[in-house]
Amino acid sequence: MSMCVRNTRFEADWMQAGLCQRHPPTSPLRILGMMVSDTGRSADSEVAGLIARCARRDQAAFQRLYESTSPHVLACLLRILRQRALAEDALQEVYVQVWNRAGQYQPERGSAWAWLVSIARYRAIDLRRSEARRPAETGVDLDQLTAPFTATEPELGFGEQAARALERCIGALQPRQRECIVLAYQGGLSHAEVAAEVAEPLGSVKSWIRRGLAALKRCLES
Amino acid sequence: MKRDEPGNLDLLAAEYVIGTLTGGARRAFEQRMRRDSFALRRVQGWEERLVPLTLALPTVTPSPEVWLAIAKRIGAGTGPSRWRAIAAALTAVAVLGIGWLVFEELRPREPQAVATLAIEEGAPLWRVELAAKGDHLEIEAVGAVSYPTDRSRELWALPTGGAPVSLGLLPKSGRIRVALDDRQRAALALSTQVAVSDEPQGGSPTGAPTGAVLGVAPLT
Repeated sequence: MSMCVRNTRFEADWMQAGLCQRHPPTSPLRILGMMVSDTGRSADSEVAGLIARCARRDQAAFQRLYESTSPHVLACLLRILRQRALAEDALQEVYVQVWNRAGQYQPERGSAWAWLVSIARYRAIDLRRSEARRPAETGVDLDQLTAPFTATEPELGFGEQAARALERCIGALQPRQRECIVLAYQGGLSHAEVAAEVAEPLGSVKSWIRRGLAALKRCLES
Repeated sequence: MKRDEPGNLDLLAAEYVIGTLTGGARRAFEQRMRRDSFALRRVQGWEERLVPLTLALPTVTPSPEVWLAIAKRIGAGTGPSRWRAIAAALTAVAVLGIGWLVFEELRPREPQAVATLAIEEGAPLWRVELAAKGDHLEIEAVGAVSYPTDRSRELWALPTGGAPVSLGLLPKSGRIRVALDDRQRAALALSTQVAVSDEPQGGSPTGAPTGAVLGVAPLT
């Protein structure tokens, strides 16, 4: 996969975002390999603890949360929004929301990282699409999307084990399925944008993504 | 697509999470999540499964301005703990400063000079103290002071080589404080003695002693 060189428009965007120079085209597996060996990331329990202190209006905890998580969140926003200024504006909005809604996070419902990253991703996807087709549509109601659940389900684990399981199952997908899913997820791309990126028909891309997701789920649940 | 099959719902949730569910279908699914906790749960399941893909991205450190803007919006200092410490230190300095000023103002200090006045060779009647800062006199009636009600007893500085300068009326009893003006302070600086005179009620009408000088005492 070569996100940086296949499409000249995107190439310019990636260069602007400062990603290509620092990180040449990387396969999803290599990306995951980097992740699994990444021990610099704050443990989920630590992030969850900081969010809990934010809920009690502890500004020092909020600053620590920001310092330890914002480089990951900015990476996510930048990959989707592709412009540093836009991504940093979104980063500001995301953390103000995190501060305001810290009390809504419930550790027993899911991991702290997933909570944090979801706030950022939905905001970025929404921004990206409202930028693409002005006038902007009504934004996603993030409060609703992360509202507490009423259903009781087995707890979701998170950490090295989950990352390794995802790595194994993503690796087991057919290459086209894997490429399209990772492109869509990390870049916040639509089917059509993924099709343009991989230079394949829209119908094929839709089908790869659908089958890839189903296979991924089967693998992760096995 | 058969909407109510669990597999279909899960696929919709997955496409919502990765972002390929777009436009009207995306809005419709959001509506569904608001009332269907099962659908919401499927979404969160996928968020959880896929988040390692986000965390695998090479990190990017934000510019310092972003934190400054966030801190401003949530009402925090630029570095909450550091600014709080600075504020506390400044408060401590102010409190100590004010405390020192109050202490300096209130602490009793040795007077610059003292005179004990008697009338003729009698018992001491007034003790006169020139305060350490030289800005006022403390005068205390220390003996049994008595004189007619239509008369007053007036205190005078006797500067060397100059006319007596009034320092005000002496009390019949108790202790009074008499603020000094520049002229009085200058006269006292040149005086080695003070005097008490008999004056009409309210003091000398001329600015100079008009009645008998009842007593003179050294100012030391």
